[in-house]
Amino acid sequence: VSASSIGRLVMLFLVRWSRYNPYYLEPEPRKELYNMPETELTTEQKEERELKAVRPIKATTNSTTSSVFNDPVLSKFVNMMMRDGEKILARGILTQTLESLKRKQVEKYHKAPQGKKAEIECNPYAIFHQALENCMPVIGLASIQKGGKFYQVPVPLTDNRRRFLAMKWMITECRDNKNRRTLMYEKLSQELLAAYSKEGNVIKRKHELHKMAESNRAYAHYRWW
Amino acid sequence: MGEDPETFTQQDIDRSIAYLFPSGLFDKRARPLMKHPDEIFPKQQAVQWGADGRPFHFLFYTGKQSYYSLMHDTVAKVLAAEKQQVLLLSEGPVPQDTKPISLVGSRWLLKEELEELLVETISDHDYARFIQLMERLLSLPNCLSEKDFVQRYRKQLEIQSSKQQVAPLQYDENGVAYSTADGRRKTATCTVLLRDCGSGSISINGRDYLHYFPVLQDREQLMFPFHFLDMLGRFDGQCTVGGGGRSSQAGALRLAISRAMLSFLSEGQVESMRQAGLLTPDPRVKERKKPGQEGARRKFTWKKR
Repeated sequence: VSASSIGRLVMLFLVRWSRYNPYYLEPEPRKELYNMPETELTTEQKEERELKAVRPIKATTNSTTSSVFNDPVLSKFVNMMMRDGEKILARGILTQTLESLKRKQVEKYHKAPQGKKAEIECNPYAIFHQALENCMPVIGLASIQKGGKFYQVPVPLTDNRRRFLAMKWMITECRDNKNRRTLMYEKLSQELLAAYSKEGNVIKRKHELHKMAESNRAYAHYRWW
Repeated sequence: MGEDPETFTQQDIDRSIAYLFPSGLFDKRARPLMKHPDEIFPKQQAVQWGADGRPFHFLFYTGKQSYYSLMHDTVAKVLAAEKQQVLLLSEGPVPQDTKPISLVGSRWLLKEELEELLVETISDHDYARFIQLMERLLSLPNCLSEKDFVQRYRKQLEIQSSKQQVAPLQYDENGVAYSTADGRRKTATCTVLLRDCGSGSISINGRDYLHYFPVLQDREQLMFPFHFLDMLGRFDGQCTVGGGGRSSQAGALRLAISRAMLSFLSEGQVESMRQAGLLTPDPRVKERKKPGQEGARRKFTWKKR
């Protein structure tokens, strides 16, 4: 007899298999969510809790902790920077990048006049997140075949896809367009600061994509989803 | 048994019976344990027609009388609920006070279980139609009265946290509480002895954890269970680990520490640990290489000719 009805319904959405039964739910490692008293929960959260009580949960990955320093966006960025499985190197580069960001900003802070000091952002995490957000495209292009020809059709993007594109552009930009002698973390911190102030090659690439999408507006009706 | 059957006296027989059946031959507790007759003899449908050959049930000639009579009843309930809803709406827009039946914590009966209940075989299509109809019944706002009917076809799911085996706490000579646990991840195995000392020092294979794990990520994994429960400096750990690489050893230690800490925790904390993913052993292992491919997923370079 084939898999149960629950498995059958979920099987429709799976593309590649995983070691876990699809019945397993994703873990939630942040500890603040478990200390919330009953009164502060919405109905959805209560239902979610009841559901979690009866379902098995997957194991947390190696790179996730309940620490305040654990950031899912940063972990994703580290994984994308990683080559040949060298996580230590990738993480080291990111730490050096954040350090150099902080150093540059603190230098700027000390050199700035009293009035401008409050505007300078010294938190490297905030700079990173803001820079990534500035790089995220709003609309993307999809190659759709119609009548034998392939058209570039403007298409809405999901949040995950936007984040992925921003990170990918950042990394490719820093790998390709740098001087042989500049190190990765230096180039990355320069690009991040530029993206934070909405300048630089990555922002330019995002604007080019937007312009292409705007110019191909006529084909927008080719999209069927 | 080594006894000589020629010279087997009555005394020998009594002795053997006393040995083989300690409670005696006629003791109530010595009676053979038999399964319930329902488990041995499968449920069969009783004869469905009378002496004159006429069937009892009006849906006998459909072939699946219990299934169709069930669908018939459900549809009757759906129509009654819709009629009631129309009546209520005609009286005036009433605010939705009636909450639908809570579905969390139970699941629909599987096709095999439904077949067992109805004592007849149904097809996948029939089963899908039945579930569709039940969902439709539940989508109506006045379905609270049919709660018992619906619950008959739902199975309660057991609470997962009750499946955790928590070992009782042990105490050594000085009165210090301690507990041991094992953990595994890929090929790494480890054992952990946690003591409720208050020092917070962890030694792995005789060396300090700072020396054994020079990488920050591994130390973060080690401290994850402690940090999650705010018990960072409370425990003193002695761990032995072998096999695997640095990352899998760290993962194995994390699992072993979480398991060892279970004996010190309350039920709510155990449940939150489980929901954080600390208590599930990670099933991911290296995927095998397949013949005709270079690796597990990588294919050989495609050459046109």
